[in-house]
Amino acid sequence: MSVSRDTIVAILLLAFCGVLWHASYDIEITNYGTMASAVWPRIIIVAIGAFSALLLLTSLKQRHETVAEQAPSEPFFTRYRNAALIYALFLLFLMTLPTLGMHLGGTLFVFLSLTARGRPAPKRIFLHAAVAIVSIGAMWSIFTFGLRVILPQGEILPI
Amino acid sequence: MIIENVLFAAQEVFHWKNLGLMFVGTTAGLIAGSIPGFTITMAVVLTLPFTFGLSPVEGLSTMIGVFVGGLSGGLMSGMLTGIPGTPSSIATTFDGFPMARNGRPGLALGLGVWSSFFGGIFSAVLLVTLAPSLAKIGLEFGPWDYFALVLFALTITASLSGEILIKGIIAGLLGLLVASVGEDDINGVARFTFGSETLESGFDFLPVLIGLFAFSQLLSDVQDREKARQPLMTGVEAKGIRVEHLAAIRMIIARWFNLVRSSLIGVFTGVLPAAGGSISNILAYDQAKKASKTPKEFGTGIPDGIIAPESANNATAGGALITMMALGIPGDVVTAVMLGALLIHNVQPSPTFITDNPDLAYAIFIAFFLAHFIMIIMQAFCLRAFLLVVRIPMYMLAAVILAYCAIGVFALNNIQDDIWTLFVFGLIGYGMKLLGFPLAPMILGVVLGHVAELNLSRAISLSGTADQFLLDMVSRPWALFFLIVAAFSIIFPWYQKAREAAAWTLGYLPALMVCLAVPLAMMQGWPRTLIAVVLALGAVYLLVQSARRGWSVSTNDAA
Repeated sequence: MSVSRDTIVAILLLAFCGVLWHASYDIEITNYGTMASAVWPRIIIVAIGAFSALLLLTSLKQRHETVAEQAPSEPFFTRYRNAALIYALFLLFLMTLPTLGMHLGGTLFVFLSLTARGRPAPKRIFLHAAVAIVSIGAMWSIFTFGLRVILPQGEILPI
Repeated sequence: MIIENVLFAAQEVFHWKNLGLMFVGTTAGLIAGSIPGFTITMAVVLTLPFTFGLSPVEGLSTMIGVFVGGLSGGLMSGMLTGIPGTPSSIATTFDGFPMARNGRPGLALGLGVWSSFFGGIFSAVLLVTLAPSLAKIGLEFGPWDYFALVLFALTITASLSGEILIKGIIAGLLGLLVASVGEDDINGVARFTFGSETLESGFDFLPVLIGLFAFSQLLSDVQDREKARQPLMTGVEAKGIRVEHLAAIRMIIARWFNLVRSSLIGVFTGVLPAAGGSISNILAYDQAKKASKTPKEFGTGIPDGIIAPESANNATAGGALITMMALGIPGDVVTAVMLGALLIHNVQPSPTFITDNPDLAYAIFIAFFLAHFIMIIMQAFCLRAFLLVVRIPMYMLAAVILAYCAIGVFALNNIQDDIWTLFVFGLIGYGMKLLGFPLAPMILGVVLGHVAELNLSRAISLSGTADQFLLDMVSRPWALFFLIVAAFSIIFPWYQKAREAAAWTLGYLPALMVCLAVPLAMMQGWPRTLIAVVLALGAVYLLVQSARRGWSVSTNDAA
């Protein structure tokens, strides 16, 4: 038995509402103010829950009415590989930010993203390095000197 | 007093630094708007970090420049390649591209540019005249009315921005939920922090916005590995094109009625929360075709087919600004970003915005006018820049812009947690897009979450009890008015699907008119009573007409 994407999303949303509803009991009750702090989030959670239930019902009804959905031509990983790669690189950039700093980390992030996604040719690697150095250098200069923002400095290269 | 305010605002807007920023902003908007895959919203969102260090007038003028430039930039790629740069230029390609292919690219561009200009100026005039009047009406609003207005803004956004209404509503509610994280504005109690100190101050609006919109958009753009490696556009032939300004102006003046009608459609669409240029350009094109004596010529490259969508999409900007300035409710996602920019500078948009901040309000009026003149000047230069930019592959642009997003977001509060917020919401935005959830309602939910909660709390305090609050919601004319339009906006997607197919749709408009007549009749002052009577009579007339046609929904049957 196949389950449609919307059905899974609706179930996950309902579970999410359950978790938040439970967490809403941790919200402190004050003896001041007319409306308690938990009221508004609970109204939203109930509304999300109601519409998620509606989405679940609609998706189940549609699944019975329509012929089985066509499977995507590409496997899941191949289809979203590029986006996943960028996320992984951005995560790496974020985690190394305290060590590398914005200037060096940013340059490395741009260079690695370009090289990972561009055509693997030596000439291209030089181009990617140039693009990374010039673009991040320009942005760093604008924010540091133009807008007077102190961007995170790294431990390796303190700029 | 008004003259004093205008002069003071003009002094700030025409300052050389502000003028320079507006030129840069408009040029950036024109180029960003011309690149398929880069929406105007994204261009305005990416401008935000630069505005932190600027004064409110400078920041907003720059953003208005990007907004106006972006609306006009989309026509370049649409006309020269048939691929619209932004969704607000989709209808422009229907006639713009054939006209360019028929050997008149200069005229096509001229018609597009000048229609954008006239449409924008038309809406700027309405902005100056209508916004203060609408703000006066806004002053009548109590917290009940404001809460109902927010509900209306969210429901109409949900119904207009996605294919599945339920998903739109869920997205809007998730936005409200995001806004509720952290210390609440009323009691100062922490909510959904899960023990994290970082979450105690809640999510900052801008990293959330940039993550949801820009980050997720860039990932979608590079999803296809091979496509991302190609130049943005190939086969663009624009060398030696000279924009035919005079011929275009003459043609537009000869078709002034189309221009005015389309601009009015644009302004009206802009005033509605969430209905932006992507809707108005198609609506205006459709109306121009219906009103034409030669509808079959549409799509072959006729001037009317360019004038209608281009004047409408620029006029939408003025309409969206009217709602933002008069009521403090964003007319579309771009004005939601502008509203965020105002909040950064501690300016709270509300009906008192124009009276409390006349210098800023009039500066926005003037900057909106001025941006259209700058757009005309810069269009010719941007045509060359456009040819250069479209040679760059998307993967290169995406990587550089992602790094810029990180730097820009950090610049907001000088804390690295904001970059994590960007990262997380980029993932959420990308996932939501893949799962068919529209992002616009979520953005609006994040922006309006605090306003909704604050007004709900005030309303309950004033009403005393929950029962009295509910009674007040339906007995106060404006609250009832917004609740009615919210209810009808929820039904709207079904109405749109079933129109010309189901008999019940014949009753939709009359029912809306009758229902709206009730709160209008409850309001003070004879003009509103008169409008209520006209609406009721109009509803009766429509019902009688439908009955005469035997409740037939097909126009052919009627004939």
